[in-house]
Amino acid sequence: MAVTQPRGESGTTAELARLRRRLDRERRARTEAEQIAEQGLRQLYEKQQEMLLLEAIAVAANQAASLPDALQLAVDRVCQYTGWPVGHVYFCSGDPGQLEYLTPSTIWHLAHPQQFHPFRLMTEATRFPPGKGLPGRVAASGQPAWIREIGADSNFPRREAAMQVGLRAGFAFPVLAGSHVAAVLEFFSEAPSDPDEGLLRVMAHIGTQLGRVFERTRAEDRLRHEAFHDSLTRLPNRALFMDRLRRAVSRARRYPGYDFAVLFIDLDRFKTINDSLGHAAGDALLVEIARRLDASLRQDDTVARPGLEEDESAEDNTLARLGGDEFTVLIEDIRDASDAVRVAERLQKAISAPVNFQGVELFATASVGITLGSSGYAAGEDLLRDSDIAMYRAKALGKARCAVFDRSMHERAVERLRLESDLRRALERQEFRLFYQPIVKLQSSRVVGFEALLRWQHPQHGILAPAAFLKVAEEMGLMPPIDRWVLHEACREAQSWQAPFPSDPPPSISVNLSSQMFGQPELVEQVGAVLAETGLDPGRLRLEITESVAMADAERTDGILRQLKVLGVRLSLDDFGTGYSSLSYLRRFPVDTLKIDKSFVSQMEEDGESREIVRTIVNLARTLSLEVIAEGTETKDEVRRLEELECRFGQGYLFGRPQPLDSEGLRALLRPPGKH
Amino acid sequence: MKGIVFNLLEVVVSKEHGEDAWEGLLEEAGSQGAYTSLGSYPDEELLRLVAAAARVSGRSQDEVLRGFGKSAMPLLAERYPQFFETQSSAYAFLLTLNDIIHPEVRKIYPGADVPVFDFDTPSPNVLLMGYRSQRRLCALAQGFVQGVAAHYRETLSFEHLQCMHDGDEKCSFQITLYRADGGDAAAR
Repeated sequence: MAVTQPRGESGTTAELARLRRRLDRERRARTEAEQIAEQGLRQLYEKQQEMLLLEAIAVAANQAASLPDALQLAVDRVCQYTGWPVGHVYFCSGDPGQLEYLTPSTIWHLAHPQQFHPFRLMTEATRFPPGKGLPGRVAASGQPAWIREIGADSNFPRREAAMQVGLRAGFAFPVLAGSHVAAVLEFFSEAPSDPDEGLLRVMAHIGTQLGRVFERTRAEDRLRHEAFHDSLTRLPNRALFMDRLRRAVSRARRYPGYDFAVLFIDLDRFKTINDSLGHAAGDALLVEIARRLDASLRQDDTVARPGLEEDESAEDNTLARLGGDEFTVLIEDIRDASDAVRVAERLQKAISAPVNFQGVELFATASVGITLGSSGYAAGEDLLRDSDIAMYRAKALGKARCAVFDRSMHERAVERLRLESDLRRALERQEFRLFYQPIVKLQSSRVVGFEALLRWQHPQHGILAPAAFLKVAEEMGLMPPIDRWVLHEACREAQSWQAPFPSDPPPSISVNLSSQMFGQPELVEQVGAVLAETGLDPGRLRLEITESVAMADAERTDGILRQLKVLGVRLSLDDFGTGYSSLSYLRRFPVDTLKIDKSFVSQMEEDGESREIVRTIVNLARTLSLEVIAEGTETKDEVRRLEELECRFGQGYLFGRPQPLDSEGLRALLRPPGKH
Repeated sequence: MKGIVFNLLEVVVSKEHGEDAWEGLLEEAGSQGAYTSLGSYPDEELLRLVAAAARVSGRSQDEVLRGFGKSAMPLLAERYPQFFETQSSAYAFLLTLNDIIHPEVRKIYPGADVPVFDFDTPSPNVLLMGYRSQRRLCALAQGFVQGVAAHYRETLSFEHLQCMHDGDEKCSFQITLYRADGGDAAAR
């Protein structure tokens, strides 16, 4: 035992040492394992944070109400993620791909706004062309950039301001919309910091995500632009114009010294150009005129007036195309009407120079209506309406004029509206009447026929002659139905008086055809149908068209008249002598009668020229074997003169006023002579 | 309490009093003694170990905690050098506790119940530091602060102005730091 003791002791010592080493190894292994685990946990955590960040950015990119909202959120989240206290966004100015400089936005993340305020001021006062400073470097290269220590960076114009507020390191990365830089985001920390490639990779993802928002917003802007602009001329459209106009109206209400004007511009004869040369020519003309109006407005010489707060300052004048050949201009901040008239005249001058379209010179003129904002309008719509009214007034005065709206125009327009609505109901309410005026043989004063004349039994105004409403009815396109009614009614009544007042030959019945009625494609069928329905002898019906209507499209007239002739009706050219007749057509037309316009008849006594015209017409008629009726025959002297000239028939007050069928006067005329 | 604290305590005790001392402490405190930095263990267990150490050494528990904190700092500096290297003074290091060091701890141990400090910097070398923790281990905090000063070769005066043990809602320390060469630690 004694021998083994030392061995045993030394064995125990050795074993203890071994155990110690083993324990030490185990401990080191455990510590190392713990460190590996800690590192893994840390990476896991960072990955999770990274994912949360990217997720938040992706959500913002998809859902943010606006681009600034998405960028603000991105800046906040990056600062939260990095723990860096300052973040900021720049926008790139200039066309895509043609970067001019970076504009500091008002989108910031400032952990301590007061502390970093001087840096913010400095930044917002700086313009960064490509290459300059941190954002400029990023914009120029399209790559992220990192500044480890601002104090040691030579290309950092804001160095002093940054150092003053304690910013020491920074990085920035681009927002790429497609292949060009749309914005730059920059971040700063208060401690120097080495470049972190992993962080920049995450930021590159964010840049791409935000780029999509830019692209989407651009597409939306384009759509919005399209919604508010005319596609042909690229000018603002009615919606945008009305928006600007409403703002001007409300500005005028708040600032008594502020006045504006609305110009309503309508091209004269535009329809003719469109119809004769085609829509391509019309469009080219509109584009050129839009360009000229725009250019002319840009050299505006009205001076902006003081007294408006800055954010209320007048906008630029707005030129818009409402549609067709209608343009409008909102002139901001005028002194008085003369400013507006001067602009209108300049615009008219710009329009009047010829426009060359494929070698053809097009000449355009424009009528301009002007309304002043100072007239106390509450609604932009009213202003536009009155400018339109004034424009019509300008047109009525003759083309290429301009007219400033006044109240009487409004009253006329209101009257016209009332007339339109009354007219629309007149047919269904059966307010139209026919009056008949006799046509007599001058030699014997015997009634040979009657002309049916339209009257309107207006519920308020009483009996109205066509002069009061015919033009409006024509413009409303109401003439064909009215004419059909007249034709039908005249034939029916003429047929009806045959039994109580028999005569031989029975009197003819003349009915006027308006140009619109004459233009109806189914005119001949309609006349045939009326004759069939009423049972009137076609030989008793005389259809009258005016000389100017007949000559407007003589070729067609000839065809229609021949077809009507086949029905057996007789035809008259009305108002003869007032238009320009082609003799060759006149010879061809199968007309029976020329009616000399009453202006010649009534002036025959005083005016030798009128007398000569009457003589010429009568001679012409004789040559062509036509009858002649002198309209407006009012005196015995006129009758004598007409007889001298060998005009055989007359019509006028001398022989009888137009009267309704049920009147005693007409009945007297219908009774055969000698049976009074 | 995170296992790292128990690990640190083991190393400190073993280094200063031999490995058997740690075994003795474990026995005295009735602890099993298998701790890994990845685990969490009842606060109670740490307090029992501290109480046992106080009994064995004849010192107060606060003294034990202070000594432990101070001695643990070099170990931490060895294990997590990046936190120390990026700061050039104790003053600067202490100010990173809330913003850098404890967030890092939470990255690794999501549930870690780290204390919240508040700081006031009335002058370049004076730091007012508030401490709030249910564990009320202000003495350990003090030891750590002393260890930090030692790491940066600075000396300090530590005034414990308020203490949760005295019924205050938080502990507050006034820490004044001096460079070991006699200079003012503010020359950071």
